[in-house]
Amino acid sequence: MSDFGNEADGNQADGNEADFDDEPDGNRVEGGRARAVLHYLATSIVDEPDSVHIEAEERRNGSVDLQLHVAPGDMGRVIGRRGRVAQSIRTIVRAAAASEGGDASVDIVD
Amino acid sequence: MEWVEVTGRTVDEAKDAALDQLGVDESDAEFEVLEEPKAGLFGRLRAEARVRARVAPTAPRPKVDRRERRRPARGGGRGDRAEKAERSPTPDKVERADKPEKPDRAVARKPVARPADTRGETMSDDPTLAEEGQAATEFLQGLLSVFGRSGQVQADELDEDTVEVSVEGDDLGVLIGPKGQTLAAIQELTRTAVQHRLGGRSGRLLIDISGYRARRRAALEIFTQQVADEVIANGAARALEPMSAADRKVVHDTVNTIVGVATTSEGEEPRRRVVIAPADADD
Repeated sequence: MSDFGNEADGNQADGNEADFDDEPDGNRVEGGRARAVLHYLATSIVDEPDSVHIEAEERRNGSVDLQLHVAPGDMGRVIGRRGRVAQSIRTIVRAAAASEGGDASVDIVD
Repeated sequence: MEWVEVTGRTVDEAKDAALDQLGVDESDAEFEVLEEPKAGLFGRLRAEARVRARVAPTAPRPKVDRRERRRPARGGGRGDRAEKAERSPTPDKVERADKPEKPDRAVARKPVARPADTRGETMSDDPTLAEEGQAATEFLQGLLSVFGRSGQVQADELDEDTVEVSVEGDDLGVLIGPKGQTLAAIQELTRTAVQHRLGGRSGRLLIDISGYRARRRAALEIFTQQVADEVIANGAARALEPMSAADRKVVHDTVNTIVGVATTSEGEEPRRRVVIAPADADD
């Protein structure tokens, strides 16, 4: 049912991370690890993972602005009561950016 | 499961604090609003909101035998989905107090036999702890992977309604974060993801990474015991430093095991803190 990924093969090694990170040809996708993590988190908690869509805009200072789009019916899920889920998503996504030496912001838009 | 009583500037804040203490998601708790906040002059708060909460029993039992165990047997089949729909949207004043029988619940669980200790046959309804642990493990493995980390993820059932999923590996500090903030966020999202995946939750789900929570808990328990001893000796309440929700829970849990003292929480996140006070006689 939901997109938890890697169920059978468990952990992957470094360098082969997820859809959005480093492409096989070495081209770095905008948003990097922060985007990959955001995508993973969002698809894990929504009813319509196929509708999860992320726009990334990188700034000169190395930080990235991420815009998360989800199906209208899933807005409540990614925000949570009093924004608890959204806040947790932001914390984890920023940690992902920090692990690559950057920073990230997450906007949830409908 | 016992009730916890907490205060906050608003009812919502008090509920959040209660959930922190209980360590469960909102849809797994039941609330009772004891007192609405009272506004004083110039917008100052005269009295905080008071809320009572506990982990919602999976199968409500009659009052008489509720105390036999810390928590009723799971797997009673209470029709979790229907019930969640009823209480999760905006439970501003949901009063699912102590009444063992509510019409909607009675109907919802009719098709299933009464609880007993039938952990094995609960597939159809509430997920078992093992299922929760498994779902959390898979979620965390996926998270490690997108973070470019590798590690081992293991689920352990700590007691009949708590499963702890621990992650061990190299260079996982980024998943813990300053004062464990990232770990706390990961725990929150793991609960959300597991609940979404299984369509319900029955137990408490705790996440630890590289033993952070375990070490932190051990140190904090010792500290709390020392403060509680002082409070008992002096008869004067003491407020601790502001702490994360997880740390506050450790303090609450430790104090709960000590006769003669009780805890309350005060202040607003992220400066919320625990006060250890001599226990009221009526408690």
